Amino acid sequence: MERGNMVEELAQIVGMENVLASEMDLMLYGYDASLYKGRPDCIVLPGSTEDVSKIVKFAHREGIPIIARGSGTNLSGGTIPARGGIVIHFSKMNKILEIDTENQRAVVEPGVFTLVFKNELARYGYVYQPDPASEKVSTFGGNFGENSGGPHCLKYGVTTNHILGAEVVLDDGEVIWVGGKAADNPGYDLTGVLVGSEGTLGIATKLILRIMPKPEAVKTMLAVYNTLEDASNTVSAIIADGIIPATLEMIDKLTIKAVEESVHAGYPLDAEAVLLIELDGLTDGMARLADRIMEICTKNNVREVRAAKTEAERAQLWAGRKGAFGAIARLRPNYLVCDGTVPRTKLPEVLNKVMEVGKKYDLPIANVFHAGDGNLHPLILFDERNEEELKKVHAAGTEILKLCADAGGTISGEHGIGAEKMQEMFFVFTPRDMDAMRRVKKAFDPAGIYNPGKVIPEAEA
Amino acid sequence: MSNTENMISRLKEIVGKGHIVHDSAKLKAFAVDGKVPKAVVYPGSIDEVSQVVAYANAQRLAIITRGNGTKMRMGGIPKKADIVLCTRRLNRITDRDCENLTLSVESGITLNEVQRDLGGRGYFLPLDPPFTDKATLGGIVAANSSGPMRLLYGTARDLITGIKAVFPNGDIVVSGGKTAKNVSGYDMVKLLIGSLGTLGIICEITFTLLPLPEKKWTLLIPFPSMDEAYGFVYDLIGSQLLPASLNLVNAAAANKIKHPMPSQKGNYLVAIGLEGIAEAVDRQVSDMGERGRNHGALDVVNVSSEQHEDFWTAIRDFAQELAKDSPNLVSLKSNVLISKNKELLRSYENIADKLGVECAFVNQCGNGIIYSHLLVKGDLDSKVDSLVELIGQFTSETSHYEGNLGVESSPPSIKERVNVWGISRSDSGIMQRIKGQVDPAGILNPGRFIGGM
Repeated sequence: MERGNMVEELAQIVGMENVLASEMDLMLYGYDASLYKGRPDCIVLPGSTEDVSKIVKFAHREGIPIIARGSGTNLSGGTIPARGGIVIHFSKMNKILEIDTENQRAVVEPGVFTLVFKNELARYGYVYQPDPASEKVSTFGGNFGENSGGPHCLKYGVTTNHILGAEVVLDDGEVIWVGGKAADNPGYDLTGVLVGSEGTLGIATKLILRIMPKPEAVKTMLAVYNTLEDASNTVSAIIADGIIPATLEMIDKLTIKAVEESVHAGYPLDAEAVLLIELDGLTDGMARLADRIMEICTKNNVREVRAAKTEAERAQLWAGRKGAFGAIARLRPNYLVCDGTVPRTKLPEVLNKVMEVGKKYDLPIANVFHAGDGNLHPLILFDERNEEELKKVHAAGTEILKLCADAGGTISGEHGIGAEKMQEMFFVFTPRDMDAMRRVKKAFDPAGIYNPGKVIPEAEA
Repeated sequence: MSNTENMISRLKEIVGKGHIVHDSAKLKAFAVDGKVPKAVVYPGSIDEVSQVVAYANAQRLAIITRGNGTKMRMGGIPKKADIVLCTRRLNRITDRDCENLTLSVESGITLNEVQRDLGGRGYFLPLDPPFTDKATLGGIVAANSSGPMRLLYGTARDLITGIKAVFPNGDIVVSGGKTAKNVSGYDMVKLLIGSLGTLGIICEITFTLLPLPEKKWTLLIPFPSMDEAYGFVYDLIGSQLLPASLNLVNAAAANKIKHPMPSQKGNYLVAIGLEGIAEAVDRQVSDMGERGRNHGALDVVNVSSEQHEDFWTAIRDFAQELAKDSPNLVSLKSNVLISKNKELLRSYENIADKLGVECAFVNQCGNGIIYSHLLVKGDLDSKVDSLVELIGQFTSETSHYEGNLGVESSPPSIKERVNVWGISRSDSGIMQRIKGQVDPAGILNPGRFIGGM
């Protein structure tokens, strides 16, 4: 369909002011936080579920791809219009519809920013646990699509454990509810299937979130190390000792340098690695647990352990972690972040191998990651204007994912497959595994209008 | 040879002569709601499961998967029952990685066997579904079975990182793995949990483990009235305290729980399980006791660590125990907004009173789950009408609170007249589409799941 006609049809649904199709718009909505680029035919800003349903009905009838998008913070090219089509941008569906503390649930529209909601929730003394690093602007629609993680997922689980239901627009525009405010609705766990499906199965227009009373006490510690190995051995030792902190994050020397230049979190510049360890829960017994962690750190040659004494000190320590990806951009123009995840016990071994890959390709690698979950984030730094370097980066990235897969791990812990890792899917899945996934895709979206060219590689003929 | 003879001979080739039952007298014990299968097979490997399923798919034979048979009264009456595939020979621990907090097991092993293995090493698998001794992990996961401690530890969907299953075309499909986080491809693990053997036969499962809690304790707190009991319950739910389980039972239930009870029973008993680090458990014991008294508790009874496990086992296996006296026991499970537990239970009591049906209620307050056990005594036939009426009225009440009501277990004469999965929802069409894509011939457990799937 010609763009002009498409814009006209969409304008009838949402009004001309809510359809974007200028050359600049098409460029702006052609990229996300990954290294990929595409080009949509137009962008539409619906204001209601009904709008979304009508847009999807139209696209379904005309066979036009649809890409749902929030802030475009995903790191795997999930929101890149790989085959053109309509980008549905949820910036106008950004209302918190309900905070229902009695039922420990909240209902939000997909365009709500994670942190805006969490700040609102804090006024009630409640928390929503997942905390993706991009939470300042990441939207709930995006969290739903990508099954986002974050530091606190170590103790509390990822997005899928905190989204209990959703209003969903199916491929033909039909609006259904999956899950609900009550637990254990009968039938297949469609919420579980839809979360993390990267916009390829359905579009969420309302989300039911699990919220919980804020923990009574929090204790945040920074453990400083002279070697990366001592830090990663500490991580494995804490888990093996039977302690599950709320977070167990690792930040290496290169990242510390970048962070200190921008955020000034107070991480020592001469350390090879720091661990950001947080405990939460009831006050009683927390001091003893902290002592036990301290002991494990000491056994693993920690240089120093600092505990945040005030909420301001805690916020400062976290600002370093949250601002890390942004800060890294100071070092080189671009980075590729690999999201490989391994069984926690393999962490020291795999981290060593990752650093060897960097040496092999002569590329700097910075590490800032969810160590307690075994979820690595090596950031390979480069300059995309250097074509040879760009090639090396992709080769190094693939090699890192392969070694994670070979260590019994997987190619993505929280960033998704998107357009980026479809070939690497073969590292972890057989053709039969992927055939089963294709059946699910076919059940939801037989015509393939939802985010085509993502997640599951096409079957070989 | 007849079709059945052909089938038996092919199945013998796959699983071996010693691992098949086809004697008609013996088969009766494997009937599901009266439907007697033509054969029961016990495959010894996932490859054998795959071969049996591929054969059944080609021949359009219906397969009902079974572990130890504790879920055979669940679900609708099967449309067809050709082969019962029993997983009991798939009972190995395939990977025990306690330091990584994961355990991979084949589906025919019982949870109890696993807990014994882990307990000695200082770990446990944090699931506590009914049928403590008998339930296999395959059955628990396929039925998404859970218990009182889910309040703290979550359910199967929170605790499983990987599943290997045989799909209806015979494909062995692996989803997930042993990493804590995984977003590679679709989350097929979630699709299989609770699918009651209608999409694939779960053969191997990887669970998240936890270290054994330092201390366990139980509080039993009786109240004279429903208002007082729930006043206490909602006080706890809104607090920063972290009970592992929070159950409220009515007097009819309290009288039948196989465990010593407080001498002052009251009309409603709140039972709280506490698990975790010692200081936090101790503090909650005193804090909760005080809150209980403030809300009018008749007593605060401590059940110490040694008795804690026994008490909660009695709660988990309550329906089993009741079935000993009431073989026609009907068990219902309602899911509801947690803030509406009280309203719903009050309605249920009124309805049950009017219809003259004795009910033992167990409310998992923190999760909004109410189990209603209808204690049917004597002749069933004369009571079917009033039981069906009660289920209808309960269902309609539940739907007022964004909830649903399912029949967990009942004699076929009741199943025939009610919808065991409750009221159909707007997502039923897409469920049918998934089933149609994954199992186009409809060979897996036909008729027993939601919407007659």
